[in-house]
Amino acid sequence: MKPVLEIVQEVVEYGSTMQVGQIEAYVSNVRELEVEVTEAKVENLQQAAETGLSVRVISHNRLGFAYTTDLSPEGVKKVVQEAIDISKVVPPDPLYALPEPAPFAALGLQDPDYGRVSVEDKINLAKEIERAALGYDPRVKKVRMAKFSERVYEVAIANSLGLVANYAGTGFSGFVMAIAEADGVAETGYGFDFNHRLAKLDPLAIGAEAARRSVEMLGAKKVSSQRADVIFDPTVATEFLGVIAPALTGDAVQKGKSLFHDKQGRQIASEVVTMVDDGRHLAGAAAAPVDDEGVPTRRTELITNGVLHGFLHNLYTAAKAGVAPTGNGWRSSFRGRPESSTSNFYLLPGEKTPEAIISGVSRGLYVTSVMGMHTANPISGDFSVGASGLWVENGEVAYPVRGVAIAGNIVDFLKSIVEVGNDLRFIGSTGSPTFRVAGISISG
Amino acid sequence: MEWQQQTIQRILAKALERGGDFADLFIEERHSLNLVREAEKLDKVTAGTDAGAGVRVVSQGSTAYAYTNDLTESGLLEIAGVVANAVEQGNYMEIPVLEARTSQVQVDPEIDPRTISLVEKAALLEKADRAAREVDPRVTQVTVFYRESIQDVLIANSRGYLAKDTRCRLALGLLVIARAGEVMQTAYESLGGSAGFELLAEEAVIAMARKAAEAAVRMLSAKPAPSGKMPVVLAAEAGGTMVHEACGHGLEADLVQKGVSVYAGKIGQQVAAKGVTVIDDATLPHQYGSYRFDDEGNPAQRNVLIEDGILKGYLYDLVTALKDGQEPTGNGRRQSYHHRPIPRMSNTFIAPGSESPEEIIKDTPSGLYVTKMGGGQVNTATGDFVFEVAQGFLIKDGRIAEPVRGATLTGNGPEVLKLIDRIGNDQGFTIGTCGKDGQGAPVCDAQPTIRIKELIVGGIAENEEVAQ
Repeated sequence: MKPVLEIVQEVVEYGSTMQVGQIEAYVSNVRELEVEVTEAKVENLQQAAETGLSVRVISHNRLGFAYTTDLSPEGVKKVVQEAIDISKVVPPDPLYALPEPAPFAALGLQDPDYGRVSVEDKINLAKEIERAALGYDPRVKKVRMAKFSERVYEVAIANSLGLVANYAGTGFSGFVMAIAEADGVAETGYGFDFNHRLAKLDPLAIGAEAARRSVEMLGAKKVSSQRADVIFDPTVATEFLGVIAPALTGDAVQKGKSLFHDKQGRQIASEVVTMVDDGRHLAGAAAAPVDDEGVPTRRTELITNGVLHGFLHNLYTAAKAGVAPTGNGWRSSFRGRPESSTSNFYLLPGEKTPEAIISGVSRGLYVTSVMGMHTANPISGDFSVGASGLWVENGEVAYPVRGVAIAGNIVDFLKSIVEVGNDLRFIGSTGSPTFRVAGISISG
Repeated sequence: MEWQQQTIQRILAKALERGGDFADLFIEERHSLNLVREAEKLDKVTAGTDAGAGVRVVSQGSTAYAYTNDLTESGLLEIAGVVANAVEQGNYMEIPVLEARTSQVQVDPEIDPRTISLVEKAALLEKADRAAREVDPRVTQVTVFYRESIQDVLIANSRGYLAKDTRCRLALGLLVIARAGEVMQTAYESLGGSAGFELLAEEAVIAMARKAAEAAVRMLSAKPAPSGKMPVVLAAEAGGTMVHEACGHGLEADLVQKGVSVYAGKIGQQVAAKGVTVIDDATLPHQYGSYRFDDEGNPAQRNVLIEDGILKGYLYDLVTALKDGQEPTGNGRRQSYHHRPIPRMSNTFIAPGSESPEEIIKDTPSGLYVTKMGGGQVNTATGDFVFEVAQGFLIKDGRIAEPVRGATLTGNGPEVLKLIDRIGNDQGFTIGTCGKDGQGAPVCDAQPTIRIKELIVGGIAENEEVAQ
């Protein structure tokens, strides 16, 4: 295959012969390997390669967009024409623009050693994850989806203003679900990790985490409806951050879809809350030197000690807000337009260990898993989710709890975060330490 | 997509060159068009072509799968070689002559959406937007989306099946935001099917837009939902998220075989109250979850899963059917050529009973009346599930009383199915995208009005015991 950089430059050259005003080409090439083992045997092995191209044209202030997987000269011709055709029906907006070239520093997202590891060794990694989960405790009876996956990717962007950007990266992850059984009742737990470097992925820790989470739930009870303190572990905390994230984007604010649309400069969270978006943070899966428009990424402090500073912008929403873009124009894939959205979004850690936070709670729920988080409403802020975890009494874990629901509104939730732990952990591109929220409704 | 019988046979033979129990080839070309109208203008139009193919080999319980966008014979032979190398040596087999399969399911569009111009489609979205905004000045934002997908597939396998199909699916939906002071509330409605543009008649779209706007405005004055255990009546129009989560997923054979389903080993046993019949039917004409063939080339079927409370069967794809010595049930589905097929639901519903919905409400002294369900989730190993109440009302003295804000309802599948004590004679359908193992599949769920004796409503606690 042709180098991706060459493809985007050729598309832009071709576009300029078509008398479009401005044109941008984006290409991603992804190679994937995924191994799933069951009982030390490969159950599924998947290998794949995919290259996709998307094109934006801006003509007379009208924006057209189209994508294709057909990179032949006819395919390129067709996709450019499709984008031009679409630009003719979309209403004009003088703010549509493409970025000017800007220098950016590489991030080193590619593991220099990945090519030297054989498929066999990667299969063994998945087997080790399974073994670690099963060996943790005799009550762990089964595992499902002991998986290793690898992504090797390259992105290239070019536009008719002379911007040319190109980077490559690798991502490795391991996953497993453990099922523990006692007294005829099954409980589940997940283990997961991600790293841009293969050698840093720890299969034993992934297996052990899943096993620990399943075993600690054995003998779970329900609790009656009440209001109590709730502590969120980082895996659950990041899910809550995922509900807040869309409200911090320029697009949501400008369309009146954000809870925080008129709150800039105001206290929207308690003083222990500082939230950051950082496209250059290497622990997050979204790390990249430039966003999907080619604008250099950076660290943006969104909330400092509870005060809302600003929002995340792509080129368009920045122009509309009259501010500089923050390097947050991201595409869901080559099939989508760059939208204002978070990159690596996280809550800054505090000082206390999670154990110290628990020890300070006289009565509350330490939530280790939630169900139905996707039903939380980022516009109204209302959430109501199924929860399970550990009941805490007088600073100590008393017994496991499942089958309850917790509910509230994100606005109150942010103001009620009273303690933030020191254990920042990224799940994909969202990161959070453990934190405690005072007084949440628990239904049982 | 023109592929010669011999070419397909060569690819399958390559995939099985080191032996195996089964091989298949899935070639896809999908044309998608998405329109979004927001902030009173056509905000986003994206169009694209996504073409690729996947080859799979199954050998002694192991599956190897590879895919590519390179749709040349050499590109497909290359991925066939990749999967062949991934299997341990297995049984050798001849590739039989491929025979085209047939299916009578009605999913063809009457009006091909490609014959409707972008301008006309945009005009329909504008009408929906206006209709929603005209309902009330407190409607502050309306997002209208239109999604069109035309997918050509060719599926061939080493059993000699050949299935070719063109699948046309459309959906149009609205998200309406209403605001009063600091309070923002939303409502969502959508319409979709395996059909053409005839599905989106102007009157139907406008009626849906009004309905969404009225619901969003009504929610502004709604109080938080109550908290705790109570009887719940699910209206037919609320859709079928409950049945999808409480039992559908747990009946998927891959989860059953892994021992991560509470329904494992329960065939022939009472798993739901008498009178409860659950069916998965991919053959319903023009429904969102309907298809002629699944993504392994098996014809769509109507599968009775639970009959009068007794568990009858599971949903199988080919790999799980081989393992259980069963025939596939036509439920092997995949999101795209990026994925191997897995057992999935299609259109899943509780069959209607005989009671009048009004009587059911009248006989309920107090509880929650749900008129719209949102998303849901299940842990199939424990059976615990949740689903969202997007719109609901309190029931007081057998009458529908004031609206309440959304809340999650939580329960345990087998327990809750046994607590269904009233079944109405009506039936309502909703469409959605079901996610499993990272794959989305278009599905439809339905149910009659039903009453569940007791469910946990995850609202805001009333008589609060404050900690500390």
